[in-house]
Amino acid sequence: MSAVMNATAAEMNERSEGVWRAAWRRFKTDRVGLVSMGVVAIFLVMILLSATGVVARNFQQEVAVPNAPPSFLGARAAEKAAAAVAAPLTPNVDLSDIDPLAPRYAEWAEKAKQYHTTETVKATTLPLGADRLGRDVLSKAQKGTEISVFVGVLAALVATILGTLLGASAGFFGKKVDDFLEWLYNVFTAIPDILLIFAFAAVLGRGIGTVVLILGLTGWTSLYRQVRAEFIKHRQREYVRAAEAIGASSFSRMFRHILPNVSHVVLVRMSLMVVGFIKSEVILSYLGLGVPVDQVSWGTMLAESQAELILGYWWQLAAATVFMAVFVTAFSLMADAWRDALDTKLRGQE
Amino acid sequence: MLAYLIRRLWQMIPTLIGVVLLVFVLFKYFGSDPAVILAGQNATQAQIAAIRQQLGLDQPAWFQLWIFIKQIATFDWGKSWATNEAVSHLFATRMPATLTVMIPIVLLDTILAIPVALGVAYVRGSWTDRTLMVATTIALSISFLVYVIIGQYVFGFQLGWFPVQGWSDSTLTNLIVYCPLPVLLAVAVGISPQTRLYRTFFLDELSHDYVRTARAKGLSERSVLFKHVLRNAMIPILTNVGLALPGIFVGSFLIEFFFSIPGMGREVLLAVNRSDYPVIQASAVYLAMMTMLVNLATDLLYKVVDPRVVLK
Amino acid sequence: MLLSIQNLKVAFRMGRVNGEMVRAEAVGRGGESVSFDVPENSTVALVGESGSGKSVTAMSILNLLPKNAERSGQVLWRGKNLLEATPAELRALRGAEIACVFQDPMSSLNPVFTVGQQLVETLKVHLSLSAKAALARAEQLLQEVGIPEPARRLKAYPHELSGGQQQRVMIAMALACEPKLLIADEPTTALDVTIQRQIIELLASLKARHKMSVLFISHDLGLVGEIADHVVVMRQGTVREAGTTAELFSAPKDPYTKALLACRPSLDHNPPRLMVIDDYIQGRAARTDSKAKDPAAPVVLEVKSLAKSFFMKEGLFGKREFKAVRNVNFKLRKGHTLGVVGESGSGKTTMGLTLLRLHEPTSGEVIFDGKNLLALSAAERQLMRRRIQIVFQNPYASLNPRFTIGQALIEPMRIHGIGKDDRDREQRARELLVKVGLDGRAFGKYPHEFSGGQRQRVAIARCLSLNPEVLVLDESVSALDVSVQAQVLNLLKDLQDELGLSYIFISHDLSVVRFISDEVLVMKDGEVVEQAGVEEILHAPKQEYTRKLISAVPKGWQGAAA
Repeated sequence: MSAVMNATAAEMNERSEGVWRAAWRRFKTDRVGLVSMGVVAIFLVMILLSATGVVARNFQQEVAVPNAPPSFLGARAAEKAAAAVAAPLTPNVDLSDIDPLAPRYAEWAEKAKQYHTTETVKATTLPLGADRLGRDVLSKAQKGTEISVFVGVLAALVATILGTLLGASAGFFGKKVDDFLEWLYNVFTAIPDILLIFAFAAVLGRGIGTVVLILGLTGWTSLYRQVRAEFIKHRQREYVRAAEAIGASSFSRMFRHILPNVSHVVLVRMSLMVVGFIKSEVILSYLGLGVPVDQVSWGTMLAESQAELILGYWWQLAAATVFMAVFVTAFSLMADAWRDALDTKLRGQE
Repeated sequence: MLAYLIRRLWQMIPTLIGVVLLVFVLFKYFGSDPAVILAGQNATQAQIAAIRQQLGLDQPAWFQLWIFIKQIATFDWGKSWATNEAVSHLFATRMPATLTVMIPIVLLDTILAIPVALGVAYVRGSWTDRTLMVATTIALSISFLVYVIIGQYVFGFQLGWFPVQGWSDSTLTNLIVYCPLPVLLAVAVGISPQTRLYRTFFLDELSHDYVRTARAKGLSERSVLFKHVLRNAMIPILTNVGLALPGIFVGSFLIEFFFSIPGMGREVLLAVNRSDYPVIQASAVYLAMMTMLVNLATDLLYKVVDPRVVLK
Repeated sequence: MLLSIQNLKVAFRMGRVNGEMVRAEAVGRGGESVSFDVPENSTVALVGESGSGKSVTAMSILNLLPKNAERSGQVLWRGKNLLEATPAELRALRGAEIACVFQDPMSSLNPVFTVGQQLVETLKVHLSLSAKAALARAEQLLQEVGIPEPARRLKAYPHELSGGQQQRVMIAMALACEPKLLIADEPTTALDVTIQRQIIELLASLKARHKMSVLFISHDLGLVGEIADHVVVMRQGTVREAGTTAELFSAPKDPYTKALLACRPSLDHNPPRLMVIDDYIQGRAARTDSKAKDPAAPVVLEVKSLAKSFFMKEGLFGKREFKAVRNVNFKLRKGHTLGVVGESGSGKTTMGLTLLRLHEPTSGEVIFDGKNLLALSAAERQLMRRRIQIVFQNPYASLNPRFTIGQALIEPMRIHGIGKDDRDREQRARELLVKVGLDGRAFGKYPHEFSGGQRQRVAIARCLSLNPEVLVLDESVSALDVSVQAQVLNLLKDLQDELGLSYIFISHDLSVVRFISDEVLVMKDGEVVEQAGVEEILHAPKQEYTRKLISAVPKGWQGAAA
């Protein structure tokens, strides 16, 4: 038999690194992954700032002339010309004898003095330009990022929790529970996705909360399928049988034993869902079925930009596209890197 | 085989019942009161009550469900609340337009699948492969909307190669004049996700033992790749295409919306905006049925693709 | 000399760490490399345990290794160095002059092409035969390898054949172009022992008829002793000893070889404990003490008419019954071991799982301590779980990869309320680890840091934490290397002597069963074929099947003085 060695107390208590720490160590060697995670972190900071109102609080205000170009392009020449209205050559004609309102002008002028109006000077250029109402595109893009990403992440969370719980139950218990959940799954997947989303949108209306609910309630099916398959696979595995043999309860077997072994699959799928739901929200908002009128998202920006493009104003389209592309690309690359770090089999080796 | 077919058809019934229930419950308990919607903005209570009685909404819930089921079975959906057009007529006139656009898209996607898959397998592990992966990631991060907006602007508006929007009554004209731009845009956007997916399928297959056996028999790398691996990779590839098939009936509502094509997708979109419940309900139920039938057909054809499949 | 391997070294590129390329050596460690010869018309066996590099050596001949492999040295095929051959030259050799048969025929055959298509492919590539001629030759080949109804089988897909038939097809594919050398990489490891015997005999007759050489890779010394002319023993990437079979088996020189030969349980003699590699290398003698078994010990477990059926859907609405276990009866005495032996599909594993109610039995009784285990309430069943436990086959799957060893050991104690608090349980866990031969430091480590044998010890420790009386061992040593197997078997015997445990030992390996059991149950197709004391079964088997099973076991080199 192997000899038993004497060990110090410290050695007795040493713990090896778990799966997550080992994955983090592997992740750190992937430069692309690290850069992507950095970019995502920057976006998260911006979202936090936007949510707390530090930036983009006044995205609704019309602070510039309509369709003001971005600063690096310089203000439009026509604007400058239009700003100066040609002065009249002769004084105005006096019409007080035929003008029925003439007697009351003096009274009104007095009353008008009581109201304080602020004449805001409309800017002729903004960092990223202005939309057709003169609102700051940069602020809108930042706010839109907050809304779109928030919806995407929250919806993914809802769908993940739903899909995981249902998938675990179906995969682990099998038989009647599985039959019922399979029926539910078949019902939800029989109706084409878009139609299901539209049906929910038709009855629930607009609003951020409803969009999250709609996407979450219609998007759980793919994760359900995967989690169910994983639980069926693991249920047969010997470590679960061993747990049953020593008397562990069903709950313990499902969530203390199997779930940690399946969690990396769930996380990868959830990151895919975040990307998918962000894109869905953009489309829903574009169609007017998503965020309410008083909010902005990348989708509403794209909706406005279509008309602007014909007139030659491309900056809102560019801003929304670039913000979205950078975030989604960074997020996807980061998720890929995490998946590779968690997956010990080396892909691309062959 | 026959037993399998009968069992599958038999199993469709509970699902169909589920779909009907889902649609019914969704619209009845979460939707607005149809009587209020139909009555319009300035209706009086008496008018609303009258409409309610006419629609049978004052009846108990199970009776309404029964009427609902009867309507489905007899294909009588009443009329659209917005246009007063018979819903069945709506289906009949809109579906051809959708199919005229979608069938070319699915065909092109399937035909392109093989060269894309071959290309992906051929360049694997090289710099081209890695550049491709980054390029597809970026391409996928841009919303479909942007592609259509820019595509329409550049090819339709600026260059004038295709009409920006439009539709005609002749299928041939549609195919030649009005379909090319939307079809090309849809296929172009679809290439990115396909490339990534097929690459995964190929890498999976390459790790199997039979690849080593094929090499051990003295076959060239090309033979191993394009004969042995491709044939096995076609199984998940065709599964993927099969999954996309039921989608052709709804079509791409975005494409129809942008290009003003009078198809089912656009119709449903309009119905949602107008709270036109009968149209949405009918679409949901009938398309669910079509989906199930198409899935059954692809499952039966599966046996041709994968000899290991046993249909029992 | 047909094939001469000289100074071969193979390393795998594992990626860069801190800018440096890290390599894992598979063949050739440190300064040593691998050299041996394969003469014409002879069988050379490459023997070793897992990690010895035997498969990598064989695959490097034709360069069937993954892309990150680096080879150095010389592989001389009829004088030409294959390491310098162009890909085209290698392809001309593969399948034509040198052919391969692999371990798992199910995954080695392409599932979407028929048997005929795969056979014809080789013929077309190398011999340029027409389609019709190729098909005719394919049918001929199938006949030669002993497949009945060859014409019909040509149109079959691999999954429609049994494991043995699939391997015959692989052999037919390898023979198609009359190769001079056949590389067989563990061709029978995945097959039942009776099928194994058939395949071995087939290979021997084909070798004689075609006058080809065979490079036979295996971990099973017994098998190798029967069929090889020369033997090369490898350990951890280097050659320990090479010579004719007679030399090696009768007078081995290297301590590792001696240990490998001695630590196999065999049907011939029954030592109280098996020799272990460490013992041999350090020159210790085998232990000769052992407690005698009391033939009149009380019966702890009695099984009556146990049956288990699985129901599968068939036809439109019907169900088909598959009887996995039918009418099993036996008595287990305290401190004794009942060996259950059978091939795949015999129902032995299902029976073991049913005893613990991991499968629900269809009918029958299991009387334990006066109570019928199959009729207990949930609370009583939980109590019973403490007293009868199970150790599974696959050491890589029976421990939760996300639990530390300590967590795995504490969990059962916590569930059943053993020990005052967690600190007390930790203390007990560490003691158990020492008892099974690991050191207490394993407590904080994860399963993937341990080898198969060590993990099985942890699994045993986990069972012991509940102080059971009966232990079901379901193929618990089948996945282990021979030397590790010996250690675990010795451990089991020690624990039985010390704690008075009763074992139900399920295995397909008759030699192992013989070593550890007092009584033996032979199962086939769910039924008990024969049941008797171990000596009686071995020397005076009554049933035909039992006799067949005994004769199929590889005996090793028989030699002149057998």
